[in-house]
Amino acid sequence: MFTTHPPAAAGAAGHFSPQAPRPIIEFEMAIIQVRGLAKSYRVYQKQEGLLASVRGLFHRRYRLVQAVRGIDLDVEEGQFVAFLGPNGAGKTTTLKLLSGVITPTRGTAEVMGFVPWKRDNAYRRRFALVMGQKNQLWWDLPAQESFRLHQQIYRIEPERFERTRDELVDLLRVGGLLSQPVRELSLGERMKMELIAALLHSPEVLFLDEPTIGLDVIAQHNIQNFLRHYQQLRRITILLTSHYMKDVAALCKRVVIIAQGRIMYDGSLAGIVDRFSGHKVITLQFADEAALPADLDRYGQVLEQQAPKARIRVPRRAVPELLAAILARHTIEDVSVEDPPLEEVIAEMFSQADDRIAAEERAEQLA
Amino acid sequence: MLAKARTWWTILRICLEERLVYRGDFALGTLMRFLPIVTQIFLWRAVFEATSGSSIAGYQYHELIAYYLLTMVTRAFSSMPGLASGIALQIRNGEIKKFLIQPIDMIGFLLLSRVAHKLVYYTVALGPFALVFYLCRGFFAGWPDPGTLAAFAASLLMAFLLGFFLEATFGMLGFWFLDVSSLLFVYMLFNFFFSGHMFPIDMLPGIWGDLVQLLPLKYLAYYPAAVFLGKVEGAALVTGLWVQLGWVLFFFAASRLALALGLRRYSGFGG
Amino acid sequence: MTESPRYLRVFGTFARNSLVRDMTFRANFLIDCVSSLSWVFMNLGFYVLIFEYTSEIGARTGWQKYEFFVFLSTTLFVNSVVQAFFMPNANELSELIRTGHLDFALLKPIDTQFIVSLARIEWSSLANFVFAFVLLCYSLVQLNFTPQPVQFVLYPLYLACGVAILYSLMIALSSVSIWLGRNQSLYDFWFYITNFSRYPMEIYAGRIGTPLRRVFTFAIPVLIVVNVPARLLARPLESQNWPLAAFALVATAGSLAASRWVFQRALASYRSASS
Repeated sequence: MFTTHPPAAAGAAGHFSPQAPRPIIEFEMAIIQVRGLAKSYRVYQKQEGLLASVRGLFHRRYRLVQAVRGIDLDVEEGQFVAFLGPNGAGKTTTLKLLSGVITPTRGTAEVMGFVPWKRDNAYRRRFALVMGQKNQLWWDLPAQESFRLHQQIYRIEPERFERTRDELVDLLRVGGLLSQPVRELSLGERMKMELIAALLHSPEVLFLDEPTIGLDVIAQHNIQNFLRHYQQLRRITILLTSHYMKDVAALCKRVVIIAQGRIMYDGSLAGIVDRFSGHKVITLQFADEAALPADLDRYGQVLEQQAPKARIRVPRRAVPELLAAILARHTIEDVSVEDPPLEEVIAEMFSQADDRIAAEERAEQLA
Repeated sequence: MLAKARTWWTILRICLEERLVYRGDFALGTLMRFLPIVTQIFLWRAVFEATSGSSIAGYQYHELIAYYLLTMVTRAFSSMPGLASGIALQIRNGEIKKFLIQPIDMIGFLLLSRVAHKLVYYTVALGPFALVFYLCRGFFAGWPDPGTLAAFAASLLMAFLLGFFLEATFGMLGFWFLDVSSLLFVYMLFNFFFSGHMFPIDMLPGIWGDLVQLLPLKYLAYYPAAVFLGKVEGAALVTGLWVQLGWVLFFFAASRLALALGLRRYSGFGG
Repeated sequence: MTESPRYLRVFGTFARNSLVRDMTFRANFLIDCVSSLSWVFMNLGFYVLIFEYTSEIGARTGWQKYEFFVFLSTTLFVNSVVQAFFMPNANELSELIRTGHLDFALLKPIDTQFIVSLARIEWSSLANFVFAFVLLCYSLVQLNFTPQPVQFVLYPLYLACGVAILYSLMIALSSVSIWLGRNQSLYDFWFYITNFSRYPMEIYAGRIGTPLRRVFTFAIPVLIVVNVPARLLARPLESQNWPLAAFALVATAGSLAASRWVFQRALASYRSASS
C-alpha cells in the first residue's frame, strides 16, 4: 500500500508538497515496531515458618520474574491485533511497555515514531490505554465531569469535544447515564464510559487490556460490536489483549499468541489450528444404539461415547484410512470431521511452552 | 484441651509471621516514635528557663522529661492501634459472621493477636528503647525501690489489659452505630488529652484535675509513670492499683456483654 | 490540540470536582471540620495550660502568650493549607502505586507531578485556616499591634514558602514509597520531622539543640516554614531576621527542585501492579 510517512516519524517533513517529486514506491512503516523487548522484576520472597520469618527481618530473598522475555513485533497502521495468552503470559506487561507506563529491561519499541517510556506529551496525546479491571473515572462524580476533565487535560476544542462525545455516547447507547455518579453504574456501563473517556481525544492508537473481563455476555457483545464498528469507521490501530476467544474471533484477523513472555505465534486465527494441531475430531453417529462397538479405542483416543454417538480424536494423517475402516465395519448414520476446539489447541500450545521454559530454566541452573 | 492450646499456638504463630513481613516499617517506626520527646525536651527546657527553676505542678524539669519517657513505655503497653476500628470494620462488612459460625471466641482471638503484635513489637523495640533510656539516664534520679518497681510492672500489665478491653468495647459499638469512626475520634482525642500522654494530669487546675483523675483514661499513660516517679505512694498507690484492676474487670465484662448482645442483634437481622 | 494543557484551568476543575464530592457527603464533611477543629482546640488548651505556669517560652526570647499565639496561628495557616491541598494526594499516591492506578496519571499528556499532587482537595481542612485567622486577629488585637503594609504582602508570601517547603518534603517521601512499598513509617516520618517546625527556633539551644537547629534550617528547612512568617508579625523588623528571610526564599526554591528530582527518579522505576 502506498502512503506517506506517518506524520511524527518523518524528520523535517511536515507537509506534503505537491511540487516535490513524488517517490514511486514508499514502504509502509509499521506504526508499532518492537525489537527484543524484555522486562523482568524482582519479587520479594516470603518464607514459611516462624524462624524463617525472623530471619527475613534481616535478610531478604529475591526471585527474578521475567514477565516479557524478548519480543519482536510489527503492526501496521489500521490493523486490529489480538494478543492472546494465559494469565501471566506478559500481554498486559507488553501493553504497559508500549504505553510508557513502565520501562523495559532491554529492547526497543517505537509507536508512531515515539519511544513510549520517554512519556512525551506529544505521544500521550495520540494514544489511549483502557484496562478492563481498573477504572480511571472519578468514582463519586458523574461520568460527564470526568469527560470534562479529559477535555481540559487533552485540550480538545469545545465543538470537537462535544461532537466526539455525542457520537460515542450514541454509538454506545449510554445517553441517559452521563449525569449519574459512576459508582451507581453497572460494570458494563462503566466499561462503556471508560471507552468513551479513552476515545474523546481521538487517539490514533488504542490499547485495550481485557476490556470485556467480568462482563456479562450481552455487555461483551455490545462492546465487541462497538469496537468493530469504531475501528472500521476510524481506521485506528488497535491492540487488544484478552483470554476470551470470543473477543478475538469476533474482532481480529491477526492474532499474536504470547506465553511465558514470548511470542509463540503471529498470524491468522485459522492458521493456528493448521499449524499447531496434529489431530482432528471425528464424530460418529451409529445406526442403532446397540451397535456401539466396545473397541472404539483402536481407532484413536475416545473423547466421549454416549449411544448412539461417539467422538474420537485421531491424528490428521490417519483420518482417511480410519474413516474408511470404520465405515466398512459398522453402519454409520452420520459422520463429521472437525478441528479440535481452538481453546484446546491453544491450551496445548501453552503447556508445551511451559514445558519448554521449565526445561530451559533447569538447563540454566545446571550450567 | 491440648487441641485448643495447639489452635491458639497456631493462631499466635500466624499473627507473628504476618507482622514480621513488614520489618522495615517496624524498625524505622520504633525509633521515630521517640522524636516528639526531643521537641518536648526542648520545649519544657524553654518553659522552665522562663520560670527560673521552680517546679510546675510538683514536677522539676528532669522529672517532667522522665515522665514523658515513662509514658512512652506505658503507651507501648496500652495503645491498641486499629483494634476498635478493625472490629467496627468487620461488623460493617460482615466478616463478623465467621465468629458466629466458627467455634472461635472473637475477643480471645483478638487478645491473642494483640499479644503477638506486642511481643514482636517489644522484641524490635527493646533496642531503641534501651538506647534512648540510656542516653536520657540523666533525667532519672536512679531506680526506685523494688516495691515501687513491682507496682509499676503491675500497672503496666493492667494498662495493657485495660487498653485492650476499653478499645474492644468501643469497637463493639459498631453493632449499634453504623459509623463508629467519629466516636472513635472523640475517644482518641480524649485519650490523648486526658490520659496524661500530652502532659501530667497534675497540671490540670482544681476541679478539672479532680474530674480527670476519676476517669479510667489516666491509667493508660499517666498512672504507671507517676508510680515510677514516686508521685503516688503508700495507701494511695494501693488504692490506685485496685481501682485500675476494677476498671480492667469492668471493661472485660463490658466487652463480653457488648459482644454477646451485639451478636444476638446481628444474627437477628440475618444476612 | 497541540498546546500543553492550561494548568490553572485543570486545577480549577480539580477544585470543583473535589468540592462537589465533599458536598455529596455533607455529614462527613461537617464531621471532618469539627474533628480538625477539636484537635486544634486541644492543642490550644495545652498551651493555655502552659501559660498558666509561665509567662514566656524560653528566657528573653520574646515568645510570650500572645506572641506565641501568633506563632500558633501561623502554624495553623501553613498546616491547614498543606492538609487541604497536598496531604490527600500524598496519601493517595501510595494507594495509586499499590493498586497500579498510577498508570492512568502516566498516560495523560500532563505533568505527572502536577496531577499527582493536586487532583484531590480536602476542603474540610480549611476549617483550621479560618480558625487560624480568628486566632491571629485576636492575638494581634491583644498585642495592640497593627501590621504595616509591607507585612501584609510578606506574610502571605512566606506562608506560601512554608507550604512549598512542606510540600517538597511530602512529595519526596511519597516518591520514596515507590521503592519501599507500604510506607506507614514514611508518613510517621513526615509527622515527626514537621513536629520540629511547630515550635519557635529559639528553644533549640545548647549542645544538642544548636546543631539540631542548624540541620533543620539548612539541610531540611522545616524550621523556616513557620518561624520566618511568624517572626515577621510577632517580632517584626529586627535586623537579625533579614538574612534568614532571604535564605527562606533560597530554601524554598531548593526544596522544590530537590523534591522534583526525587519524584522523577522514582517514576523511572515504577513497576505498575499486575492486573
